[in-house]
Amino acid sequence: MVIQIVLLCGLVLFSGLAILLRDLIKAALSLAVASLFLGLIFFRLGAPYAGVFEISVVAGLITVLFALTIALTKKEDEVQENRLVKIIFPLFFILFLIIDGLVMKSLLTKVPALPATPEGESFGLVLWKQRTFDLVAQIGVIFAGVLAVLALFRKTGKDEDKDE
Amino acid sequence: MSNLWFLYLFFSALLIFIGLYCLLTMRNLIRLFIAVEIISKGVSLAIVATGAVKNSVLLAQSLAITYIVVEVSLVATALALIINIYKKNKSLDVRLLSKLKG
Repeated sequence: MVIQIVLLCGLVLFSGLAILLRDLIKAALSLAVASLFLGLIFFRLGAPYAGVFEISVVAGLITVLFALTIALTKKEDEVQENRLVKIIFPLFFILFLIIDGLVMKSLLTKVPALPATPEGESFGLVLWKQRTFDLVAQIGVIFAGVLAVLALFRKTGKDEDKDE
Repeated sequence: MSNLWFLYLFFSALLIFIGLYCLLTMRNLIRLFIAVEIISKGVSLAIVATGAVKNSVLLAQSLAITYIVVEVSLVATALALIINIYKKNKSLDVRLLSKLKG
């Protein structure tokens, strides 16, 4: 229980740092550390495959994509954030913490949970037999993402003129 | 077991709050996207924790993996979009996007 609380606190702390840190690279790295904590929590919850995905894909790949985007969009005059936003954040956070603590428990008793369906024997059976449609949708989503990136980075006539 | 569920959903709500706060108050497009990532972390934590507590962790795990794949696709597309916006406006300020013409 103590380890779980420590991991959850680490997750929230690094997520908070990701929005509070001024340097975007540090913010992206902080997000990666938060993903690492989430992956460890998944392992503790008995979901090792989700943990591996979280650590390798979210903490690894997405951080690289963020770092690449930050490097490509670096400019001298950064976007000026409102200073008040970061000052009043702890106030709102504590307020939400109190409301969350008071309301969440009663919400859990009021919201009925769906009955659990009988599960397969292994993760492979559940993923490939019960959730086959999800896998088809995943392939579709990946293709849509690839096509979108290709469309966004295609060279137009103007770009080719500039290159020449 | 209910206490454990409460603990996980409590922290997942905190993550969603942090993300929403950033989305509502900040102006940098990359930072806004970091906020979307934080919200998605909260949601995936809620999915897996609920599955673990309700004894259907395998199903929750497969849903979480689907969610992560969708998230990666979304990130790749959105970051490409952000780079294009930067090329056009020379800034990442979200307020400049209000000058878009339909």
